[in-house]
Amino acid sequence: MCASSVPLGLSSTSLRNDILLDIATFLSRRWSNNNRAIVILTKDKMPFVRIDKNQIMLPVLNYYLGTHFQQYRQWRVALWFESMRMYFSTKVMSYDHAFGFLLNTLETKRIEILGLQNWEGMVKELIFNEGMSWLSRPLLNSVYGNNKIIEAFSQYFLTGYLKGELFGNDFEKVRKASDYATEIVHDAIKNDYSTDWIERHIPNLVKMLGIDALTSIPIVAPITRVRGLGMNQNDLVKQIEKIVRRKIKATDIDETSREIIEGSDLLEEFETLLKESKRTENKGYESLENLGLSVPETMDIDPSPVYDADLIRRLKAKFRDWRTAWIERHEEAGEEFDPESYVETLPKNFLTDLRLSIKTKVAILLDHSSSIEQGELEYKRATVALCEALDYLSINFTVYAFSTESRQVKCWIIKPPNLKWSVSGSRRLAQIRASGGTPLAEIYGLLLPTTKSFKPEIMITLTDGEPSDFDAVREMVLSYRKMGIHMVALGLGRNLNDAISIGHNLKYLSYERSLAVSRLEDIPKKVISLLHN
Amino acid sequence: MVKVVRVMEINYLDWNNAISVLDKAYKIGLFALIIGPKGTGKTTLVRKFASQLGKELYSVNFSLRTRESHLIGTKTLDRGQISFVEGILVKSMRDGGLLYLDELNAAEADVLLRLDEALDDRRQLILKEAEGQIIRANHDWSVIATINPLSHVGTKELPPQLLSRFPIRLRLDYPPEEIELEIVRRHTEVDQSKVNDIGRAIKLAKNLREAAAVEELYYSPSLRESIAFAKLLNAGSSAKEAAEIVYANAYDQWGEVEYQKVKDMITSIFGD
Repeated sequence: MCASSVPLGLSSTSLRNDILLDIATFLSRRWSNNNRAIVILTKDKMPFVRIDKNQIMLPVLNYYLGTHFQQYRQWRVALWFESMRMYFSTKVMSYDHAFGFLLNTLETKRIEILGLQNWEGMVKELIFNEGMSWLSRPLLNSVYGNNKIIEAFSQYFLTGYLKGELFGNDFEKVRKASDYATEIVHDAIKNDYSTDWIERHIPNLVKMLGIDALTSIPIVAPITRVRGLGMNQNDLVKQIEKIVRRKIKATDIDETSREIIEGSDLLEEFETLLKESKRTENKGYESLENLGLSVPETMDIDPSPVYDADLIRRLKAKFRDWRTAWIERHEEAGEEFDPESYVETLPKNFLTDLRLSIKTKVAILLDHSSSIEQGELEYKRATVALCEALDYLSINFTVYAFSTESRQVKCWIIKPPNLKWSVSGSRRLAQIRASGGTPLAEIYGLLLPTTKSFKPEIMITLTDGEPSDFDAVREMVLSYRKMGIHMVALGLGRNLNDAISIGHNLKYLSYERSLAVSRLEDIPKKVISLLHN
Repeated sequence: MVKVVRVMEINYLDWNNAISVLDKAYKIGLFALIIGPKGTGKTTLVRKFASQLGKELYSVNFSLRTRESHLIGTKTLDRGQISFVEGILVKSMRDGGLLYLDELNAAEADVLLRLDEALDDRRQLILKEAEGQIIRANHDWSVIATINPLSHVGTKELPPQLLSRFPIRLRLDYPPEEIELEIVRRHTEVDQSKVNDIGRAIKLAKNLREAAAVEELYYSPSLRESIAFAKLLNAGSSAKEAAEIVYANAYDQWGEVEYQKVKDMITSIFGD
């Protein structure tokens, strides 16, 4: 098979960001041995890790050069590097000044060596990445002043050679500094020193290079975003052969290089992810776009503000007995409590399995009209907690939300029925801005075809006000009920009085049941006990 | 499901001194509970302990389908005569054997209730099935139970009053990597040239176990897989191939993406 032909046939469709995030989260957590690691996709920004926040920022695939498959491979190596940084480094500085840039460069080398001790299988991918990134590195002749020295140092130190020319004194400076840096890194590895120890040697390095520690470094993104430009398959083959010759004691350089360029170990993984992207496009939500439903797509959203871990923990604790099938009772009054004799007096010491009884399929519709704006964050936290709890109880559910965007009513899919609830659900919810009215009938109309195929037993609508189209809503609710779906409305009030009046209003909309809450954090409990009943 | 295990030579590496704790529990007449994920050698530990004591092991492996009658016994019709065939609980109590309750937290509530009766301080059982006969346990009778963590399919929390019947609690987790290698060595020959590969397989298993513990994967490989991996290497498989056969393929049942996740771990751990 010709090396260049491998991925080209696959490049017609692209990977969905949520599919990428799913595998990236899994891999980064395993590689960094940190179960709290979160991956955030950002457009056009170089990979970066925030160790204290357990966040890895990665660009989207087209940040990288080459075909889709080649982009995926480079992206995966970037993920590996940032995961290694999370595992081995104690600090990551900004890349935009010389001091930070140099420290990070030395750390890159250190974590690469250490990382490969644990993840030996990454060797070939790192070579491939080096070959690709070499093509996108700037030619030294096109960089000037201090930046030239720093770029030259980074090239020479990390790879052992330079792209372009560096003359006389400058080259000597860079070579000496690079030898010194290599020594520092080896000492650190030998003696198990960490980032802080290396940081103490950066001033020396700065002096050797004859630059100012605060020199600002322009962000060096891959030289071209126009795919194909500056990227030549022959250059890549030559470059990789060169690296293989230097790094691996391979007997057959051509064969090894060909293997590296082909990347057949990962091809199947990439194809599976592509297939999965297509599958979710077809069965999940993309096809639903034809039905007027939309998917919140932005992936550079940090879901942590809407993720209230405390509330979720409390909620899970509350419903723990549903999963575990026994209940803890606390006696608050009476004589000295003897648990054994108490247990003997109980008619039924054990609960039968409650969790088996919640086999219901549920559809949830969240109102994001402008009136929600006031308590928006709290509302989102409560609904995320609700989803977490439903997932915890293994209930099959789907979540939609509606709002108005550029004067157009949008019905968003937060969690499609065929995907497991995950952090991407919180991301989707986090980016929906509360705005517009409450055109419930229109929304029910939009949801009708999808609901027909999902066939939920209960549809719960969370809303805070009167719908704008009273009679139409009544009609829609009735037509849903005719399909055998139990229609329930949960009114959200700002206070008790408000809640009562909303609950009262909802009664006239022919819902089977209507309830109301005055504290948003009660939403999950209310919904779940509703399902149980 | 219910079986009496004869004493025989059992290969168990007691890496965290569990046997001495079980021994103490036995000597002071307390029941012991071993808590740990599957495939950590709980059953082998108990079998080893029984063989050291020279006692007969009465073991029950619990599941949702284990009925009261398995423990207590049933009436049968034999040549026109109704007779009562004793279950394993009753038998072990009479004989003063070592009763082993495996995966106790997979049992149904009614089964647990009946067990609870026998395990309390009186150590007796009233057989409503056999005209109210009272079975008193032989003074030599002892019980060891095991439970799996709640993340395992089909497990429930053990009710507190039953938990309190087992005041000696042992945690048996997966052993550290070097001990796991030692355990593998005890089960199959390990050539020096293969130590490196087996070490990597153990690292892979450890990673997958961690992922399963936080519910990112649905299955957590046990020590058995590490042993199978070593055996495959001995049979001539390459390390990568053996890892795919033993570890990755199992995940295909949860979809291709899950399988590829595990395969990616294999790709990044095993070089050529």
